[in-house]
Amino acid sequence: MSERIRSMRRNGTFLALPTTLWLLVFFVLPLVIVLVVSFMSRGRGGVAIMPLTIGHYQRTFGIFSIILWRSIGLAAMTTVVCLLAGYPLAFFISTRRSRLFQQITLFLVILPFWTNFLIRTYAWRILLGDEGAINGVLISLGLISEPLKMLNTQFAVLVGLVYGFLPFMVLPIYASVERFNFRYVDAAHDLGANDVRAFVRVVLPLTLPGVLAGCALVFIPSVGAFVTPDLLGGTKGLMIGNLINNQFGGSGNMPLGSALSIVMMAVVMLSLVIYLLANRRERGT
Amino acid sequence: MKSYDVELQDIVKDFDSGGAQIRAVDYVSVQIADGEFFALLGPSGCGKTTTLRLIAGFEQPTEGHILIRGRAMEGIPAYHRPVNTVFQDYALFPHLTVEQNIMFGLQMEGVNKREALKRAQDALEMVRLPDIGKRKPHQLSGGQQQRVALARALVKQPAVLLLDEPLGALDLKLRKSMQYELKALQRDVGITFIYVTHDQEEAITMADRIAVMNEGKMLQVGTPKEIYERPGTHFVADFIGETNFIPATLLKRENDGRGRVRLPDGSEICAALSDDLTTTSGAVTLAIRPERIGLASDVSAESATDRDLDILDAKLVDSQYIGTDTRYTLQIAEGTELVARVQNVDGRNSAAFDIGQTVKIFWHHSSTTVLDH
Repeated sequence: MSERIRSMRRNGTFLALPTTLWLLVFFVLPLVIVLVVSFMSRGRGGVAIMPLTIGHYQRTFGIFSIILWRSIGLAAMTTVVCLLAGYPLAFFISTRRSRLFQQITLFLVILPFWTNFLIRTYAWRILLGDEGAINGVLISLGLISEPLKMLNTQFAVLVGLVYGFLPFMVLPIYASVERFNFRYVDAAHDLGANDVRAFVRVVLPLTLPGVLAGCALVFIPSVGAFVTPDLLGGTKGLMIGNLINNQFGGSGNMPLGSALSIVMMAVVMLSLVIYLLANRRERGT
Repeated sequence: MKSYDVELQDIVKDFDSGGAQIRAVDYVSVQIADGEFFALLGPSGCGKTTTLRLIAGFEQPTEGHILIRGRAMEGIPAYHRPVNTVFQDYALFPHLTVEQNIMFGLQMEGVNKREALKRAQDALEMVRLPDIGKRKPHQLSGGQQQRVALARALVKQPAVLLLDEPLGALDLKLRKSMQYELKALQRDVGITFIYVTHDQEEAITMADRIAVMNEGKMLQVGTPKEIYERPGTHFVADFIGETNFIPATLLKRENDGRGRVRLPDGSEICAALSDDLTTTSGAVTLAIRPERIGLASDVSAESATDRDLDILDAKLVDSQYIGTDTRYTLQIAEGTELVARVQNVDGRNSAAFDIGQTVKIFWHHSSTTVLDH
């Protein structure tokens, strides 16, 4: 048997060949094309033509920088809110005695995935609109007289993003806390730490891998979010994803869209690098 | 009035297990003196670890009171109690270095970092591991982890150190050497140790006093010698060391702590009564240790008239050479067998007797204990 495994190992290159080719043709090659296009000029109908220019990058970091920073800011806020809401939830679920209860609550956390994301985001329009459910209830209770302006604001985008990505925070933290040995809390108490200090000095550091994974899983898709700001943000909540989308439409600008895409990718890569470094430090020497 | 370091008064602990109440600790009362090495001994699930956790403050008693240095512990959380624990799996914080682990408890007291580091290094010195402060727990061997756990608890200078099967995860040889080391350490620091173990040999070697527990009850408390020589119940006699149990009938209780009993072969002998014996006459169990039984082809007239000696006839069923000793299986009546263990010394060994031969077996009255049936 070991002989067969050894030969399979030797042939590993061949086994990986189809996928490698697939990635080369459909991932690396298009990426190179996007990179090249981002340095070309805009022609009639938004297509890319020569000569080469760095003008699109200048605009990205110039007039569009506000949208770039807004995207990063909204994604960061989404991550923080998800963490603040997700950690206690994940902690609660994973510390329940009943296995069945844990499974049911986890199931409820991922239940929204059963419905199309687009439809769920539309539902938020109904909830947040001027004539929407939330304003309706608040007015009928007499708490406000004028509807609160919620739809087409950054607040609406934040709500939508948190709603959409919360499970990505809960699941890895759940896994971390689930593996956590609560004997360490006994040990911390035994050594004189109260609940707060036991949490800060022992529980949090030991469940940090789950926290970091959750933050990466929420932040990265949030930066590039497109459907949520499109439906809930209006012009005020426009994010870089929408901007890129616009460049590839009828009156768009493919080179500019490519430059924006490259910059967004760089932001994502940077956050991944930070995640990996933090994770490595956490694992220790 | 003598002051005690730890006092348990009618402690009860019930756990809720899927609607059913499980009593882990059942009216346990005990007083542990200052500087004592006290062992809680019993099989797994007997309530010994729960008792320890109640003293530590990880669990609250359902009933009863716990006093540490005369102070009632009701409502006092684990982190305010003057006790520290060495956990069974050590529970060293995996994300901290050895030094940081030991400093943890001191920093919680508000000791500044420099002072804490110095005391941590002293503590490592004490457990003879001065050079491993910068390592992480997973880089240490089991024995080293054990010592670090000890240092981490002792650096806090607790009134009482609680140890939950601290040597359980170590291999036999290391366990033996750690037993002596722990005992010596306890003498040096003079702190009261409460030591949970299921290993009767460990308890006998190390403890000043032993409490034997079973099914939540504390069956007997006494010095190792008392527990071994004068077991109060069948369970204690069986759990500590090897014991022969012989069904017998109690004929008469004497005033000197002895009684006359009839054995299955019809012979009547004199035997010591257990302090916990409640039976006044009728069916009882006679307990006797294998090494207290002597064996001879015949006995001298002098021995035969010794009033303190019981002598019986027995058939040698089997003999087994086990190095230091020879084990003899003896039949004193149909269905009643005994094991005798005789040390192998010069000129005396298993060849002296033949299987199937009838031999004389004898023991001193005080070597037997009459227990409730």
